[in-house]
Amino acid sequence: MSYEPKIVGFLCNWCSYTGADLAGTSRIQYPPNIRIIRVMCSARIDPTFVVDALAKGADGVLICGCHPGDCHYSEGNYKAMRRFPLLKKLLQSYGVEDDRVRQTWVSASEGQRFADVVTDMTERVRALGPSRIHAALLADQRER
Amino acid sequence: MGQLKIGVYVCNCGTNIAHIVDPDAVRETAAQLPDVVIARSYRYMCSNPGQEMIIKDIQELGLNRVVVSACSPRMHERTFRAACKAGGLNPYLCDMANIREQCSWVHADRLMATEKAVGLTRAAVNRVRWQEPLDGLTAEMCASTLVLGAGIAGLTAALELALAGHPVYLVEKTDRLGGNLARVDLTAPYLDSARDLLTERLEHLRENPNIKVMLNSELKNLSGFIGNFSATVGTHNGHEPPEEKTFHVGNVIVATGYREFDASRVTHYGYGKLPDVITSFEFEQMLRSGRIQTKSGRAPQYVAIIHCVGSRSREFHGYCSRVCCMTALKYAHEIKSALPESHVCDVYIDMHAFGKGCEDFYRTSSEVKTLFLMYGKNEHPVIRKADPKDDCGMLIEVDEKLSGERVEIPADLVILMVGMEARPDALEVARLVNISADKDGWFIESHPKLDPVATTTDGIYIAGTCAAPKDIPDSVAQARAAAGRIMARIAKGKIEIDGVFAEVDGDRCSGCRMCNELCPYSAIEFDADKRRSHVIPAACKACGACVAACPSGAIKGRHFTDQQICAQIEGVLA
Amino acid sequence: MTDKKKLQIALYWGAACGGCDVAVLDTNEFILDVAAAADIRFWPIATDGKYMDLEALADGELDLTLFNGAVRNSENEHVAKLLRQKSGMLVAFGACACMGGVPGLANLTSRDEILTTAYLNNASIEPGNRTVPYVETDLDGMKLEIPALYKRVYKLADIVDVDYFVPGCPPAPDQIKNVILAVVKGELPARKSVVGASDRALCDDCKRSKTEKKTRRFVRPFEIIQDPEKCLMEQGILCMGSATRSGCGVRCPNSNQGCRGCYGPAPGVADQGTKFLSAIASIIDSKDPAEIDEIISRLPDFAGYAYRFGMPASTLQRSHRS
Repeated sequence: MSYEPKIVGFLCNWCSYTGADLAGTSRIQYPPNIRIIRVMCSARIDPTFVVDALAKGADGVLICGCHPGDCHYSEGNYKAMRRFPLLKKLLQSYGVEDDRVRQTWVSASEGQRFADVVTDMTERVRALGPSRIHAALLADQRER
Repeated sequence: MGQLKIGVYVCNCGTNIAHIVDPDAVRETAAQLPDVVIARSYRYMCSNPGQEMIIKDIQELGLNRVVVSACSPRMHERTFRAACKAGGLNPYLCDMANIREQCSWVHADRLMATEKAVGLTRAAVNRVRWQEPLDGLTAEMCASTLVLGAGIAGLTAALELALAGHPVYLVEKTDRLGGNLARVDLTAPYLDSARDLLTERLEHLRENPNIKVMLNSELKNLSGFIGNFSATVGTHNGHEPPEEKTFHVGNVIVATGYREFDASRVTHYGYGKLPDVITSFEFEQMLRSGRIQTKSGRAPQYVAIIHCVGSRSREFHGYCSRVCCMTALKYAHEIKSALPESHVCDVYIDMHAFGKGCEDFYRTSSEVKTLFLMYGKNEHPVIRKADPKDDCGMLIEVDEKLSGERVEIPADLVILMVGMEARPDALEVARLVNISADKDGWFIESHPKLDPVATTTDGIYIAGTCAAPKDIPDSVAQARAAAGRIMARIAKGKIEIDGVFAEVDGDRCSGCRMCNELCPYSAIEFDADKRRSHVIPAACKACGACVAACPSGAIKGRHFTDQQICAQIEGVLA
Repeated sequence: MTDKKKLQIALYWGAACGGCDVAVLDTNEFILDVAAAADIRFWPIATDGKYMDLEALADGELDLTLFNGAVRNSENEHVAKLLRQKSGMLVAFGACACMGGVPGLANLTSRDEILTTAYLNNASIEPGNRTVPYVETDLDGMKLEIPALYKRVYKLADIVDVDYFVPGCPPAPDQIKNVILAVVKGELPARKSVVGASDRALCDDCKRSKTEKKTRRFVRPFEIIQDPEKCLMEQGILCMGSATRSGCGVRCPNSNQGCRGCYGPAPGVADQGTKFLSAIASIIDSKDPAEIDEIISRLPDFAGYAYRFGMPASTLQRSHRS
């Protein structure tokens, strides 16, 4: 039985969210599995959100910010850049597959790129199968 | 929290949303969510009737939260916030779900698109529960301005403000006004006298009682935020320690200029060893004195001008100093007009004749029979003392690019077009006023294309060459631009501070100081006495970097709180 | 509880090391006051007692139980549930009960791996010996049962309803005194609160100076000559103090060692490890991805570090490797 991945996306208002909107105004199609949450800057993204999303049933998490050097708030994306590799390391210890959590840079003019990123990520997450984290945590409460 | 009463409005946007997303399905699901008292579907929520619907429901149903599932918030968040306000509801108690740009316009599968729209709506409903009414703040705007540097940029800015009736403190490190321009004779491409340009400025300055000139002075400390800075300036008047004065300003313009590259660093040119190898500034002095001559007092027969000394080089500075090419051509003109029999050779890499009148100037320079020799980037012509049998003082060897030959030219006088570089105190100045400098020491603007005179610190502006090499027209333009921006702020009288900013909970802050360096706006300060950090709302831009980084969770990002975001996560995954 | 009636208390250890019980004893003469004012009905480390004594108690007969240790096996769960039933107030005592503690790191592996390593694949097993433990064994017609090892470690609140949380590995003896006195005087805060700890992170109580938080390198304490007056993080030495509740007396940084986070996250923080990650990564002084990777490579076991005491309490709770 095929499943439909549920991907949570955190997009920064000035670049990536605008880029995603541009994909919309350009009517560029991409898979409907992603659900976007807007933040003002990728620096706002607390790694806690990522694990929270995974614990609540996300099959994948996508983080998008402005290209390095282009952050509307000057250096916000550098904070995101620094946090992500350490988060990845942590997720590895938790056994979360690499393709499930991704961070990339999308500018306000990159509507097509956004669509491509989402399409690629959706397929990768689909290939991995559903994340069983949420179900496993629930099961832990009943089974020992 | 009281009784929540949420209204959900699902926009059809004509067929833009409705042809893919089923608005009734979204409306029906929304209506079942806890605390949702009304859910409507309507053709165009942004239209007047649409907005009226929201206003009416707020007033008649007592709604205290509103969700509009429609286009992107970047499109109409303002519209629906205004509608809420008109209905008597705080505008920050409204949220939007983007079911158009990020749903109906990008997905073809109706079922999945509708399911997504439902998820996004549920996320917005979840979030809006945690949203709080927010009010902006106002602060005073002091009409005085601090201008650092009395070069052409600083003088222009000071005058612009003073002529509009605003007080200016003009702080200059040296004992003279005019900066680097005072060391120049004529300016390219129209060969205006620099002295005339400056004299005009200085006369206006002297007449204007709004400008307080502080020579031999430096900024020692700057604290506060836009509209409310406290500046301490130290003046060296012969006594130690320097006399300090503290005063209030609303804004600061940094116009501290540049210094020229030290030509002795390029050993191939023998500057400092060969007496007749001089810099452009030294040549300017010569021009002002009225006599072009070698050290031995003779008029030179051969003059060579070498471009890009210290600029466009892997070894020294990679950037172009912009003004030197046209200045070199200016020299060719001046030498030829003073010494018509002399031979002038222009040794260059590229001819940067980018500005108004510059290409014409280039053409007329070749018409006065200047010889142009092109050398390669990252190569250097070599200057050596000529033998007594040679008919000149020095010989210059150049790997000439256009002919492909290695040529040797005679020179009695060599003028090195030294580039611009950041002043040695640039980083200190940047630190004092809380702005950044790039790897070359040039101050960084708020946005290189769209906001060239502002910086990431509100109220601090940069103008002239301290931001990057540039010519007089651009320096003046920036100075006036900065002054203009400040005048606009002063005209408003007060500063409106948006209600969305970060807040430190003093009861939770442990004083760990993880946050202070993270803020590009220096908006989060540490109080050493209280051992706590706090945010200056006027300076905060609400990026959230400190909110995410605080290891105690002691910083709340208003309108983008952890609770709200986690509620959204739950909403999209339910 | 009347004036005359003594407080009925129990202390129990689940998957524990004994340190929390020792900490109670470390309150020194105070424990004698406790013994005088209270009846210690059940305390396996210090007194004799059987589970059937516990089972014989009436519901709520115990006024206070301090339960330390995590829940790792069926015995731990059984007794936890029993104590919950028999106690008016159940306190998760110490890091293991509150957050899973050091035993909780076992959640990064699996039960199968643990049993395989312990009983089959290591150098001290005789070749050919395949003895593994079973929950039930028949011996001479009798059925023997040993507690079942669970698939993972749980914190106490995962298994039963907990009234209060006293953090620390172990809780500082002074704090233990404070908590017991608070119970006796009836001066406890709202149910489910953390007691015996501050509402701020360690930095509030740490005497080291804090200035500029930027680092280009993480170092182990022995790799540099430490400045005893300066914040450890500012010297590149990992210290979880900024992400950890205070109340312990800053005992580790005062001993020139970075805080290990045993008092758990600051109030309102759901996940101590990811919050700490966010902080220390943010202060890395680099904008170059390759350089950042290099700096981070100096943290080989970040999960083990950041969740030394709190893996079961973290958002993901355990490894989800298939």
